[in-house]
Amino acid sequence: MSGRIINWIDRRFPFTSFIRDELTGYPTPRNLSYWWNFGFLAGFVLVLQVATGIFLAMHYKADVAHAFDSIQHIMRDVNYGWLLRYMHATGASAFFFVIFIHMARTLYYGSYRAPRELLWWTGQGLLLMLMATAFMGYLLPWGQMSFWGATVITNLFRATPVFGEQVVIWLRGDYSVGDATLNRFYALHYLFPFLIIGAVVIHLVALHAVKSSNPSGIDLKAKDNIPFHPYFTSKDLFGLGVFLIFFCVVVFFVPDSLSEPANSIPANPLQTPNHIVPEWYFLPFYAILRSVPNMVGGVVAMGLSVMMFAFMPALDRSSIPGGARYRPIYRVLFYLFVIDMVVLGYVGYQPPAGTIVVIGQLATIGYFAYFVLIFGLSKVEERWLVKRGLPPDVQALINAEALAKSSRA
Amino acid sequence: MKKFTLLLVVTCLALLGMSALADMSTVQIATDTATLGRGADSMMTNCRSCHSLKYVRYRDLTSIGIPKPKIDEWRGSESVDNPMLAVLADKDALQSFGIVPPDLSLITKARDGGMNYLYAYLLGYHNTSNGSVDNLIYPGTKMPDALGISSATTAAQLVDIHGKARDVTSFLAWAADPHAKERIRMGYYVLAYLVLLTSLLYLVKRMVWARLSTSDDHLTSWKK
Ligand code: HEC
Repeated sequence: MSGRIINWIDRRFPFTSFIRDELTGYPTPRNLSYWWNFGFLAGFVLVLQVATGIFLAMHYKADVAHAFDSIQHIMRDVNYGWLLRYMHATGASAFFFVIFIHMARTLYYGSYRAPRELLWWTGQGLLLMLMATAFMGYLLPWGQMSFWGATVITNLFRATPVFGEQVVIWLRGDYSVGDATLNRFYALHYLFPFLIIGAVVIHLVALHAVKSSNPSGIDLKAKDNIPFHPYFTSKDLFGLGVFLIFFCVVVFFVPDSLSEPANSIPANPLQTPNHIVPEWYFLPFYAILRSVPNMVGGVVAMGLSVMMFAFMPALDRSSIPGGARYRPIYRVLFYLFVIDMVVLGYVGYQPPAGTIVVIGQLATIGYFAYFVLIFGLSKVEERWLVKRGLPPDVQALINAEALAKSSRA
Repeated sequence: MKKFTLLLVVTCLALLGMSALADMSTVQIATDTATLGRGADSMMTNCRSCHSLKYVRYRDLTSIGIPKPKIDEWRGSESVDNPMLAVLADKDALQSFGIVPPDLSLITKARDGGMNYLYAYLLGYHNTSNGSVDNLIYPGTKMPDALGISSATTAAQLVDIHGKARDVTSFLAWAADPHAKERIRMGYYVLAYLVLLTSLLYLVKRMVWARLSTSDDHLTSWKK
């Protein structure tokens, strides 16, 4: 009976073939390491955020007179409201944590290289949407940091040429952050996750067209690919278990460790906190913003710093496979970049004074230098490596790939 | 990528270290009924004349084991479903202090240092050389020395006041996060479950991957 129903469906809709070709049978390189788990984890956190968010929305009130109180109502009176909210707040941080590792893996292994540019760029789009969603969500508790964070960031749009003033008012819906801002941020905070889901579908379509990259950096022969199920379902689920252990330690034991004390004080437009800081995942970019003495320059630098990743396919001109794995110079640059990000994050948290400013400026230069150096050095490094003689297995990889390419052409 | 893992771990540890404020006297709060009862009592007698606790209703006090007659005594003619408001009206407070004393419902979350800040602030009053009273933690604060530590003379008094400060802090920590105890208890069960589940998932993964023959696996040479 069920077989006949499925037959009926399959003649009208590619049900069985879709599951076979794109899910269970989807050919996946067998040599993927655990660093390839993080895309799946990001998808999981997205679902978690939507699920908890919808229930929070049932009790939240987007009104400057009630927003803060309604959060306290959720935390105190709603059954397991505290659990929903702590999962949602921790989930936002977990989302960025997972995405940053996902991006670091892409950079390390050069997964952005041809033919995966569109995959990488859709990912870049997802990063921007995630940032926008998190930023708007942070206004909703209507605490001091919510209010002043939104005030400072919307104010940056004053840097828009000619229409600066109008753009800021247009964003806020008022002359200052207020009820109109809170309402529109709430509406958009509810909308964006669904746009993100749509963009994730596009990201996955791109992925399934070019298939997963792998640590070797070349396209593997068919026999080195294995079906996604049961191999990667089991591997991803184990990774999910490990992730959930860390996640639940934060949710149940230290849920406030990532929230700023000032956000437990209701928003007060008349009293500026002495130290306005964004959430940790924005700190490196915030540090870049503050490191440029001129406001317009700072805004441009910050925007550029987020967008720089999109240029990677063009900047990295090396044809050595495997990303940082077989490329010593690139590897050093990668680690310096990660350290630089950490330094920027630290600087972003500190009040901008004295040596902190200087360190921030140096780290900002370092940030952009990474991309410039990759552009300048990738070809030099390639020539040097080829002249020195590549390790036999790397040479074999390159030959194998060239062979595969010519036979395909 | 091993170095990358190391970097991640170091960064996370550094972040944790940054969030722990070192230079404040640390307080070990308690969550037992006796301490919370004494803390609530202290809040009622020493603080509520000026401070509200607006996210806590009188009824909520039953959940930490405060006896009903006690609650009735505190609430007077107020309904049990009313929030615990300050005795002093905002207008009068503004006149006496030039500032409305903050609501204390979230105070252990709303300052850097949290509970330690509150504890140190309450005990931070001292006599200055010019004969006035000031606070070490918040110099120039407009709040008077509510627990009277600056005028304590005997060791017994000092012990008593330290105890009071700890009780109030414990009570206000409960007020700021009333489900903390339940949350932590649930957390142990959740973690035990997850550790078991994840171990099983690991075994499943091992079993599934064992089906792949590794003899012809030239790919393993790429794994470090
Ligand atoms: C006589 C009135 C009065 C009493 C009684 C009182 N306070 Fe206060 N409290 C104030 C005022 C006024 C302020 C505002 C101080 C300032 O900001 O300068 C304040 C501020 C505070 C603050 C915030 C300090 C800060 O960092 O901004 C805390 C915490 C506090 N009180 C706790 C308590 C506790 C606990 C008690 C009971 C043991 C108590 N208060 C009793 C008047 C009072």
